[in-house]
Amino acid sequence: MKFIDSTNFERLLKKLSSEGELFIPVRNEDTSKISLERVEDFPLPKETSFDGYRTVEPLKAFGQLLRYPVAEYPSPDADEITSEDKFPSCIVVGARACDIVAMQLVDKVQVEGEFTDPFYKIRRDKMLVIGADCTECGKSCFCNLLGNKPWPERDFDLTIAKISGGFLIEAGSERGEKIIEQYGELFTEPREGQIEARDEIRSTVEKELEENNRGYPAAEGLPEIIRDALTDEIWDEISARCVECGACTNICPTCYCFLLYDQKTDGEHFQRISTWDSCQVTGYARMAGMLNPRPRLTDRVKHRYYHKYDYLVLSHHAIYCTGCGRCIDTCSAGIDMRDTFRQVTEKVAR
Amino acid sequence: MENPYYPIDTVVEDIIVETPTIKTFVLKPTRPISFRAGQFMQLTVPGVGEAPFTPSSSPSVSERMEITVLRTGKVTDALHELEPGARVGLRGPFGKGYPMDTLEGKEVLIVGGGVGLAPLRSLIYALLERANKYKRISIKYGARLPEELCFRKEYDEWDKAAPNVDFTNTIDVPAPGWTGRVGLVTVLLDGLDVKIEDSISVSCGPEIMLKFVTLKLLEVGYKPYQIYLSMNRKMSCGMGKCGRCNVGHYYLCIDGPDMCYDKIKHVPNVFG
Repeated sequence: MKFIDSTNFERLLKKLSSEGELFIPVRNEDTSKISLERVEDFPLPKETSFDGYRTVEPLKAFGQLLRYPVAEYPSPDADEITSEDKFPSCIVVGARACDIVAMQLVDKVQVEGEFTDPFYKIRRDKMLVIGADCTECGKSCFCNLLGNKPWPERDFDLTIAKISGGFLIEAGSERGEKIIEQYGELFTEPREGQIEARDEIRSTVEKELEENNRGYPAAEGLPEIIRDALTDEIWDEISARCVECGACTNICPTCYCFLLYDQKTDGEHFQRISTWDSCQVTGYARMAGMLNPRPRLTDRVKHRYYHKYDYLVLSHHAIYCTGCGRCIDTCSAGIDMRDTFRQVTEKVAR
Repeated sequence: MENPYYPIDTVVEDIIVETPTIKTFVLKPTRPISFRAGQFMQLTVPGVGEAPFTPSSSPSVSERMEITVLRTGKVTDALHELEPGARVGLRGPFGKGYPMDTLEGKEVLIVGGGVGLAPLRSLIYALLERANKYKRISIKYGARLPEELCFRKEYDEWDKAAPNVDFTNTIDVPAPGWTGRVGLVTVLLDGLDVKIEDSISVSCGPEIMLKFVTLKLLEVGYKPYQIYLSMNRKMSCGMGKCGRCNVGHYYLCIDGPDMCYDKIKHVPNVFG
């Protein structure tokens, strides 16, 4: 672990920015929310903010773009579109633990198994992830219920913790270690009290998380509980409020569903596009002949919970929720996953 | 990296009209495509989109592939409008295919409904090529009307292919000139003369048919692990990435599309 002061950290980012597209967390003055924004010029904007909690955008958006072409056909070279030099390298700074854990989960789906999605894989390989400790806790944050910490523990290249005057910085990969070695002059050994200062912030945030989520069941037991609630009328109650906008799935850092569609580019050439899709909308699983395995909104709302807390536990051995809470913030109907957990747990207990 | 989303350029060599709403497309891809019976392809109509189909031709042939299609939606409408010589695209094969190892040495009961006989024809070809490896191959097929029976010219050939092979069919409602069985395909399962404890059934057809075939098979003594069903869900990527073809925690595109009923019987609305 090293210390880097704020001036040197900006120097480091400037150096790294020559290696790819740099995205940094910038606080919106009006909403006080933090977004990951592309920065090309230095000094960094004054709204740059390496503190606070998760960013508006989930990290998955850098691996799986919202909408992009996956094939142009017919073509003399089918694999031209997946040649690695066509993809930009990117450096994402300020990824929070909930997003870093989520990205690993999406990796399992898109990279592992018999097939690999080349677009996702190449983007991931060319991505440098610099994590950051949460120095605050959002009202909707519940990573503790999923057994996660509000600071990155693994699966980052580098991670920073903001303390007075700069950051404690740690490498979590070979690539990260090389960066610390290469720019050694920018770092110093941590001074006395700096690690303690970081730990104090961590402990404050962790306590706040526990306080905010007191009374909600821990999610680790939910796969078992949810399997018993298959036909429970609870899903009718929850879906009665849902407006079917799909915001919860779009903003979710672990939701990875996409749809392929084709379009004409000219009379003889065609394009296949991949776009994010949402299991909450009626057309998602609808087949030709209007057959739909989930015609009712209740079925679809239930499906979202089951996919995250049951199906993927069985197929990919993990709960596909990291407690980021974005779905709670974004839901215009005020549906709170934690309330659902509580309702399901109470119902099943009865 | 290899791009799995790119459709292999393919020529429609011939089009066979099977019924008023079903056509078989004889396809020649620019490079041979090997597949196992029951695996499926994503067939592209350029600019319109893709839809999943299991080939109806023999898996022993990789230079050409036949795909039999019921006209029922956007992509199939466009397919039915094509003329020989048209260019389409193919991706795949995807999925596990029929459980060929499990079928070996068994009394194989094949139950098809409507265009559901298309993927089963590929299985039938594969089974008939080595018919002595199976104790019995009993094919039951139903369609709504006589003119909606698929692959009519082949029934006799199948029935006489080997002593251990038989074919019977039925139509849903009486029709002028029809002297065969009448009733839903489940009537062919009444008084079934296969040795059930030594049998595996493989069914393909509309979901409502699969439901009643399953109930019937259970009623006559099949255990859930002896029942294989070709399940239908919307598919997009074919590779277990896009999320939509699940039945419970299985993705049909990688775990199916033929699923052992024992694995999915607990799933609510398993038959839609």
